[in-house]
Amino acid sequence: MGQKADVWQGTLALMVLKTLDAMGPLHGYGIARRIEQTSGDRLLLNYGTLYPMLLKLEQEGSIKSDWGVSSNNRKAKYYSLTRAGRKQLAQEARQWEETTDIIARFLKPEGETS
Amino acid sequence: MRKLRAAGARVTGFFGKAGRERDMAAEFESHFQMAVEDNLRAGMSESEARRAAMLQFGGVDAAKEEVRDMSTTLWIETTLRDIRYALRGLRRSPGFAAAAILSLALGVGASVSIFAVADSLLVRPLPFRDPGRVVMVWERNSRLRDARFNVISPGNFRDWRAQNDVFENMAAFGDGRSVLIVGDRVEEIANRFATADLLPMLGVEPYRGRFFTAQEDVPNGPNVLVISYRLWQSWFGGEESVIGRKVQLRSQPATIIGVLPPNFYFRSRNIDVWEAMGYDPARDYRKTSGRYQLAAARLKRGASFSAAQAEMTAIAKRLEEQYPAFDKNWTVALEPLRDSMVREVKTSLLVLLGAVGLLLAVACANVANLLLARYTSRKREVAVRVAIGAGRGRVMRQLLTESVVLALAGGVLGLGLARLEIVGMVALAPRDMVRNAVVTVDWRIAGFAFALSLLTGILFGLAPSLVATRNVVDGLREAARSAVGGGRGLRSFLVAGEVALSLILLTGAGLLFRSVVGLQGIAPGIDPGGVVTFRVSLPRAAYREPVRRIQFFATALDRIRQAPGVRSASAVSYLPFDDTSATSVTIAGRPPAKPGEELTGTIRTVMPGYFRTMGIPLLQGRDFTAADDALDSRYRFIVNETFARRFLAGEEPLGKQISAEMDDKNPLGEIIGVVGDVKEGSVDSEPSPTVYYVHAHLVYSTMMLVVKAAGDPQAVVDPARQVIRSIDPAQPIAQVRTMESIVRETFSRQRFSAMLLVAFSIVALLLAAVGIYGVLAYSVTERTREIGVRIALGAQPGRITRMIAGGAARIVAGGLAVGVAGSLALTGLLKSLLFGVTPRDWTTLMAACLVLVSVAAVAAYVPSRRASRLAPLDALRME
Repeated sequence: MGQKADVWQGTLALMVLKTLDAMGPLHGYGIARRIEQTSGDRLLLNYGTLYPMLLKLEQEGSIKSDWGVSSNNRKAKYYSLTRAGRKQLAQEARQWEETTDIIARFLKPEGETS
Repeated sequence: MRKLRAAGARVTGFFGKAGRERDMAAEFESHFQMAVEDNLRAGMSESEARRAAMLQFGGVDAAKEEVRDMSTTLWIETTLRDIRYALRGLRRSPGFAAAAILSLALGVGASVSIFAVADSLLVRPLPFRDPGRVVMVWERNSRLRDARFNVISPGNFRDWRAQNDVFENMAAFGDGRSVLIVGDRVEEIANRFATADLLPMLGVEPYRGRFFTAQEDVPNGPNVLVISYRLWQSWFGGEESVIGRKVQLRSQPATIIGVLPPNFYFRSRNIDVWEAMGYDPARDYRKTSGRYQLAAARLKRGASFSAAQAEMTAIAKRLEEQYPAFDKNWTVALEPLRDSMVREVKTSLLVLLGAVGLLLAVACANVANLLLARYTSRKREVAVRVAIGAGRGRVMRQLLTESVVLALAGGVLGLGLARLEIVGMVALAPRDMVRNAVVTVDWRIAGFAFALSLLTGILFGLAPSLVATRNVVDGLREAARSAVGGGRGLRSFLVAGEVALSLILLTGAGLLFRSVVGLQGIAPGIDPGGVVTFRVSLPRAAYREPVRRIQFFATALDRIRQAPGVRSASAVSYLPFDDTSATSVTIAGRPPAKPGEELTGTIRTVMPGYFRTMGIPLLQGRDFTAADDALDSRYRFIVNETFARRFLAGEEPLGKQISAEMDDKNPLGEIIGVVGDVKEGSVDSEPSPTVYYVHAHLVYSTMMLVVKAAGDPQAVVDPARQVIRSIDPAQPIAQVRTMESIVRETFSRQRFSAMLLVAFSIVALLLAAVGIYGVLAYSVTERTREIGVRIALGAQPGRITRMIAGGAARIVAGGLAVGVAGSLALTGLLKSLLFGVTPRDWTTLMAACLVLVSVAAVAAYVPSRRASRLAPLDALRME
C-alpha cells in the first residue's frame, strides 16, 4: 500500500466537508473510502482519526447525522453538510488555497518568481 | 461561536450517555462490516477480509475512548467515574485504606488544631477599627533586666501626649479588681480605669447608652460606669433599663451609663466594668507615685512605626534631662498591640506550627509509600490498561483521583480529630496562650483543612502515579514474574525522609522535655504543698482608715488559724510567681545614689507567719510578730538572702537601717531577719533582692491570703470563706488557687510545648515504623524467589536476616544522617523555650537516634525473620 501520510486535523476537516459537499449524505465508511480513493490511496484513515473528527464537526454544527440504510441493506449513520458547514467549507477552502499559494511561491526555484 | 456551540454540545452530551454508547457501537460495527464486504468483493477469503479490515481501521477501543472523551465535558464524567472506581478499589483493600486515611487524619488533625489556635491568636483581626495602627507605649530601662516593656508613669504619659506629633491620640489605662454590688448580688469583677479617649481611640461605639466624656474624667468626678455586654446579659438580663441603674462599686454608689458591643475586647476579655481614670492635672505624679499604668496610642495616617519610635525616643531623652531624679536611664518603647498580646506565646506557636508541618510531611510520605506499594502491585493492571488504549495521562489521573479521595477522607476525619484536640489543648494550654483566644472551628478552618488535604492528596499521589505509569511495557513483560524495581528506590527514599523528619521532631521533643524536667527540678524557694490562696479586696470607701484594714486582716487570720484542718495562715500583697512590685531602696550610712544607679528591690507586704506558711526558711533573726503589725510599732524589715549578699556584701544584715520608697514618707527601719530566696517571676532566672514590709506599715486594701492545710487544701476554702463573711457579710473572696498550680503555671509554656511535641513525635515515630515495616515486608515478598534459591543453595538463615535487615539499616542510616543535620539546623528556633540545655545538645540528639534505631529494629525484625524462615520449596513454587 506504499507510504501513507498522516492526515492532520485541519486538513482532514476540510477533506470531510468537501467530500460531503461533493457526494451528498454519506456514512463514515463511505467518507473514509472516498478520501482514500481521492488521495490515490496515499491517505489511510482509521477509526481513531475519522470518528473523533466527525463528532467534532457535528458538535460545531458543520455537519449533522441521521440513521439510514445503506445500498446493501445495512443500517448506517449518514452525515450531511449543514448550511453553516457549507459556509465553513467555502471559507476554509479559500484560506487553504491562499496558504498553498503562498507556500508554493516560497518553494519555487529562485528567479522564477516574477 | 463554533467553539461555544461545541462546548454546549459537550455539556448536554453528559446526559443520555447509554444511548450514545449504543450508537457508537452500531456505527463502528456497520463501518467494519462494510469494509469486510468490500474486501470480500475484492476477492479475499472471509478470514482474510476480516483481518484486513481490522488492520486497516486500527484499535476500535482506543477510537471509542477518544470519541467518548470528546462527547462530553471530560472532567465531570471522568472524575465521577474515577471516584467510583477509586471507592470500589479502596473497599477491596480496607487495610490499606484504613492505614492511609488514619495517617492523614493524624497529620491533618494536628495541623488544623494548631492552626486554629494560631489563627485565633495571630491572625484573626482584633475587634476594633484599624487595629494595625494601635501600639502599646511602654517605658524601658536598659539597666533593669525586667524593664524592657515596663509599665508607665502618669507624669511621663501626660508629657508624651502633649509633646508628640505622631499619634492621632494616646490613652492611659490600668486594670484592677473590685467588688460590685447590684441588689443582693456581690462579686469581685475585673475593672479597668481608662482616660476618656481610650474607647473613642479604638473606634468602638457604645452598644447601649454612651461612654464617659473628658468632663467626667476628672478627680472626684461622677462615678459613671461602662459595662461589658457579658455583664449586661448575666447580671441585668439584657434589660434596656440598665442605663441609669445605680449600683455599688467598691462600696460607693455608681451609675451605669453605657454597654460595650458583644465582641469587643481590648487586651483582655474579662474586663466587665470600665471607669474614668480621673487624673489630677494639679498633681505631680513623678513626685508622688511610680510607674504603674499602661498606655496605648493610635498612629497617625502616614506615620510609620519606626518614625513614631524615633520621635518618642527623642521626647523621652528630653524628659530624662528635665527630670533626672525620676527618668534617668528610662526611655520609651513602642510595641505593636498584637505583639504585646502574644509575645512569648508567638514563639511557642510558631514552633508548634513547624512541628505539625513536619508531622504532616511524615504522614504524607507514609501514604505515598503505601500508594507506591499498591501501585507497584497493580503494575500489571496498569500495563494492560495502557495496552488496550488508555493514555498515560488518563491512567495517572485515575490514580491521582484515588489519592485525592483518600486525602479528603483523611481530611474529614482529621477535622473531627482537630475539634477534639482543640478542646483538649485549650484545657491544657498555659493561661497566657489561650487567655485571649476563643478557638473555634469555623468555615475558614474547615477550608484550610480541605485545601490542606487536597494539596497533600495531589502531592503524595503524584510521585507514585508517575512511577506506576512509567515503563508500562516492562510491566506487561514481567507480569508473569513478580515485578521488580519500579519505585523501590523512591520508597526507600520516602522512608528515609520519614526517619529524618521523625528524628527532628524527636530531638525537639527531647530538648523541651529535658527543659521541663530541669525546671521542675529547681527548688522554687517555697514549699507550695497544701497551700491554698485567695484574694480579699476591701472596698476603700468602707475601710478608709488604715487601722480598719489592719484590724480586718488581723482578725480574719486569727479566726482562720482556728478553723479545722488549718496548719497556718497569713497574707501577702503580691504572690510570688504571680505578681510583683519593685522600687528603689536606700541603705542608711551610704552616700545618696546617683540618679539611675539606685538599688532596686522587689517589695512585698506580709503578715506575721507568712514565711512559715509558705515554707520559706528563716536564715537569720526572727519573723514579724503580731506586735510588729501595728501602726504605732517601729519600722522593721525582713530581707532575702540575695538582698543581703548583693547590697550588704560582707556586712552584718541584722540591725542595718534601710528604707524602701513605697509611700509619701519612707522612714528608715531595722532589718530583723533574713529569709531564703524565692525564685521570683520565672523559675529560670536569678532571684531579685527583696524587702518584706509588715502589713501595718505598707497597708494594702487587697491582700492575697495564704492558708496551709494539714490535708486537702481545697477543704479549708469554705471555712475561710465563712470567716470572712462572719466579719463582713458583704465581703467576697476571689480567685481561689492552690500555690502548686501557681508555681506550675510559670513554666506551663515549656511544659505544654513539650507535651505536644512529644505527642507529635510519637505519632511520627509510629508512622515511620509502619513505613519501614512496609518497605521491608514488601521487599521480602518481592524477593521470595531469590531468597528461596539462596536457602536452597545453602545460605544460613542468619545470612538472610542480615541481608534483609541490612537494607533497612541503609535506609535508616541515610535518614538519620539527614535528620541529624536537620535537627542541628532547626533546634536553634527552640532556644527561647529551652532551659538548662543548649539547642545543640548531643546527648539529646544521640538519645533521639537511639530511640529511632530501636523502633526501626523492631519494625525490621518481623519481615527479616519471615525471610529467614522461608521454606525454599514453597518459595520457588510461589511462581
